[in-house]
Amino acid sequence: MDDLFNAAGVGDAVYADRHLVVTRTTNPFGLRFAGEIDVTNSSAVGQAIRLVSADSPWPHVDLSRLSFCDVSGIRALVEAARELGDSGRLLLHGLPRQLETVMRVTGWSSMPALTLCACGEMT
Amino acid sequence: MSAASADRFRHEALMYGSREEFLAGTLPFIRDGVRSGEPVLVVESPEKIGMLRAALGDDASAVIFADMAEVGANPARIIPAWQDFVSQHGAGAKRLRGIGEPIWLGRSADELAECQRHESLLNVAFASGRPWWLLCPYDTSQLAADVIDEARRSHEFVCVEGTAGVSDGFRGVDACGAGFDAALPEPPDRTPWIVFDADRLIALRRAVSRFAYATGLSAGRATELATAVNEVATNSVVHGGGKGTLRMWKDGGTLLCEVSDGGRYDRPLADRERPLADASGPGGLWLANQLCDLVQIRSHDQGTVVRLHVRDPLPSGERAG
Repeated sequence: MDDLFNAAGVGDAVYADRHLVVTRTTNPFGLRFAGEIDVTNSSAVGQAIRLVSADSPWPHVDLSRLSFCDVSGIRALVEAARELGDSGRLLLHGLPRQLETVMRVTGWSSMPALTLCACGEMT
Repeated sequence: MSAASADRFRHEALMYGSREEFLAGTLPFIRDGVRSGEPVLVVESPEKIGMLRAALGDDASAVIFADMAEVGANPARIIPAWQDFVSQHGAGAKRLRGIGEPIWLGRSADELAECQRHESLLNVAFASGRPWWLLCPYDTSQLAADVIDEARRSHEFVCVEGTAGVSDGFRGVDACGAGFDAALPEPPDRTPWIVFDADRLIALRRAVSRFAYATGLSAGRATELATAVNEVATNSVVHGGGKGTLRMWKDGGTLLCEVSDGGRYDRPLADRERPLADASGPGGLWLANQLCDLVQIRSHDQGTVVRLHVRDPLPSGERAG
């Protein structure tokens, strides 16, 4: 897990546990999730997004370092996206294949509040 | 054929012993539907679809055809497919018709058990709602006598040699939805088991991925299996008493993962309920049925067992990275 902390730059972490680190990103504005999301930590997803959505209704979310996300984690993303309101969007970057599969199978890939963003790499 | 049940779901087994009997039982059924303006969906083998198309001529264009080997490879995906048909084509229709043959010679014993469960659950799934008529052909020249007997228990109506009537053996809708505890074959001796709770889910996923990959599953399929097992295990953690047990083994070309816990499984259709298009999302068992080739659920007084089957479609040596 130390690698995860170092890679994520734990100093900027808004949330960290033994297998998930969430950090702020500045360009574009948003969050990076690194590690794994399951039922033990999926409540942190919504809390973290609420933290940044106060400043922007279109937060970017980098998922490229997320090696696993269960249904409760995607549900948390969907709920957080809905909380952004009708005009709000969660702009997803680097959707891993495992997440893509689950979103397709669950029917969540067609949720308008979750948008795949192609604006480039997040820093 | 009796029209006594035109206002509700009619589940009828069609016994046939030859190509001629198959056509004699299905063609008038399809033609009557087409001529009454009823939507008709036929889920059959490509061979039988070709036979029906040729015999129907122009009427075939009014019929929707689908390959049962695709729709029903995992029989738990068949009820959602029929639900889609009924909801998408039912508006304005007086009734709908379907033909579905989920059981054929060559289904494995486990598949057969789940197909028979599926046939029973159809009565529960469509007990209320739009009226439609489902005809399920059974090949008496190929299928074992006990399979035919079970069809008489899972269908309220049965048609033999052109005569349809109430099936004396029908077990009734309530019994069709009752808990299912048919025995499952035992895994090999000394199959190891892993006890897990919420904190061990991550270790569980690692163990499943490693085992799946080591036994020859592609990396993609291994991840899908780990995802499915994780959801079923999460059910154990959240609803099944906080913990459960995982066993994994290989049987021929099939990889099996079994999650058992002390929870109760009392919604018979929970594993085949299509998720609503909202934030609530699917249950873990729905996901498991979409990602796995077969899911077997058994409930006992002591708890629930969920067995996931995945076949590796790749011949050895073609393992993807």
